[in-house]
Amino acid sequence: MSVYDFIIKKIREIQEKAEQEEPITNVTASAMLTAELTLIASVLIAVVMLRLVHPALMIIIIVAVFVIALMTMPIMPKLRREQNDSFNNMIFYVILALGIIIALFYWGNLNG
Amino acid sequence: MDALIPIMVILPIASALFLNFLHKNDRTIKILAIITALILPIIPLITSYGTHYFGGYAPLAENSAIAQGLPALITSTQLFIFHPAITYVFSSAQQLMIFILGLVAFFAIFTSLNETKKPSGVYTFLMFMGTASVTAILLSDDIFNLYVFFEIAALAQVGIIVASGVKNSIETALKYILLGNIAGPLMLLGIALLLGVTGNVNITDMIFSFKQGLVDPYNPVILMALGLITFGWLYSSGLPPFHTIKSAVYSKALPHGAALLQAFSVFTLVAIGIIILRLFSFLSFSKTAIIGISLLAMILGITMAIVQTDFKRIIGYLAVGELGYIGIGLGLGTAFGITAGLFQAINEVIITAFLFIGFGTVLYKTRTSDTRKLGGMMFENPRIALMVLLAGFAMAGIPPLNAFQSKLMLVQASLQSGLPELGIIMILLSIVTFMTFMKAFYTIYMRPKPADLEIFDNKIPKSTILSLVVFLIICIIIGLFPQIVTSSLQTLASGLV
Repeated sequence: MSVYDFIIKKIREIQEKAEQEEPITNVTASAMLTAELTLIASVLIAVVMLRLVHPALMIIIIVAVFVIALMTMPIMPKLRREQNDSFNNMIFYVILALGIIIALFYWGNLNG
Repeated sequence: MDALIPIMVILPIASALFLNFLHKNDRTIKILAIITALILPIIPLITSYGTHYFGGYAPLAENSAIAQGLPALITSTQLFIFHPAITYVFSSAQQLMIFILGLVAFFAIFTSLNETKKPSGVYTFLMFMGTASVTAILLSDDIFNLYVFFEIAALAQVGIIVASGVKNSIETALKYILLGNIAGPLMLLGIALLLGVTGNVNITDMIFSFKQGLVDPYNPVILMALGLITFGWLYSSGLPPFHTIKSAVYSKALPHGAALLQAFSVFTLVAIGIIILRLFSFLSFSKTAIIGISLLAMILGITMAIVQTDFKRIIGYLAVGELGYIGIGLGLGTAFGITAGLFQAINEVIITAFLFIGFGTVLYKTRTSDTRKLGGMMFENPRIALMVLLAGFAMAGIPPLNAFQSKLMLVQASLQSGLPELGIIMILLSIVTFMTFMKAFYTIYMRPKPADLEIFDNKIPKSTILSLVVFLIICIIIGLFPQIVTSSLQTLASGLV
């Protein structure tokens, strides 16, 4: 099974779970594949900036992100399902972000 | 003091209220709204730089008549230099931003009045009210006054979505205001904490208190205030986790409304972002946080844009992604980086308005924004298709258009700051932005027209075409002569470092 077929199969599985009735066209599949690669590449490049904290930490996190990405591929259909217009999801991420921001600002600055 | 400084806020509010009273007097609304909207971008150009103190209450140090008779008890303390009035500051950067906001507001109002058969006084009221609020946010040096206009802007935005009449717009508006009910009060709490610690709401005075050691800037209460104000900033600008609702807001507004809403978001991002930098730049973590959030906005916005099928949602997500570029510039914290970020903000406002109004012509002709149902629109109006294509090129940063210059500056700024990874990500995401736009452009304009697609015989109003031509000319002029814009922004950027 090629990577393309694998991605299509996964998208279909996720769509079935979400009970969506959108047809899977070539455009949908290639868009999803591009988004997937962009997401993984961007995150991996961003993680390289951890070299400023400690080179060893950077290597560990890069390996971890790479392994997680390989194990959970394709990420985009799941991300799309999470980033929908459901108010419950929005509130969940807003409260989560508030907690992270307050914790990081407090902790980050006290140690900065 | 130049009396025109407050007029930039008072005029749109006054005309908003007046137009609301004239509801159903279509012709009068149209004429008055266009005249007022035309004046909006002109006022900042004829106003002198300076400071305006509401009520005329200048700091004692600047009022020699009163200061002469005061005892040393007052003249030797900070009371002598503190700002007792709500203070508006107008410099070259504000002039440029308010001019661009006025220009986008003019074309949004002009287009809406010509595309709508029955002009609504209420809709025009909301557009003017939002413009006045964001102008005040750009001018205000008083953080509480800023908060008041932050809330008015949020309400005006909700009104613009509700008034659009698009399917599910009321639900989206309700979600936006409910999320605002979390973010707004928390931001106000942050402001209240700052007031509690510094005893002041004037931003310049607060910075003075931090720098002179009147207040311990590392006080945990101040750190908490920074977190809460940052959270309010994310809501108003549409950065994650508010990117989903912000893109939904754009997609539920009419194209001219969305063009104005994105300008509100960008300028609020810039105004509050600058305040965060001014107040908290001594905390290195604040810049790291701005970069992190911006990076997330870029990655999430652009990757989510690719997988959308509604063109309004595609532009909405791309607009959120572009906000990340602005944030990166601010977060780099260097004068060059901040100038690049502000330059990108100006470009984004113009390009996104250009795209919303351009793609809006498709909605006007077909009543659908679903790319799966569209096709063959190139044959309907090839000139508009060409202008939309150029708008997409501008957004992706293709030379010689304007965003090429700002994105190039951002990449250079990231390299100078020792963060080449940011430059690589920005280039990568620009390429993906180009691909996303071309996918939308191909499905709407270039592929064969679906058999069941009904194209209405509405002629595109000349005002819409004029708006597109003006936006294109601005994109080309700024692209060829970027110093027209950057020279106005450098003073502000240097002052923040």
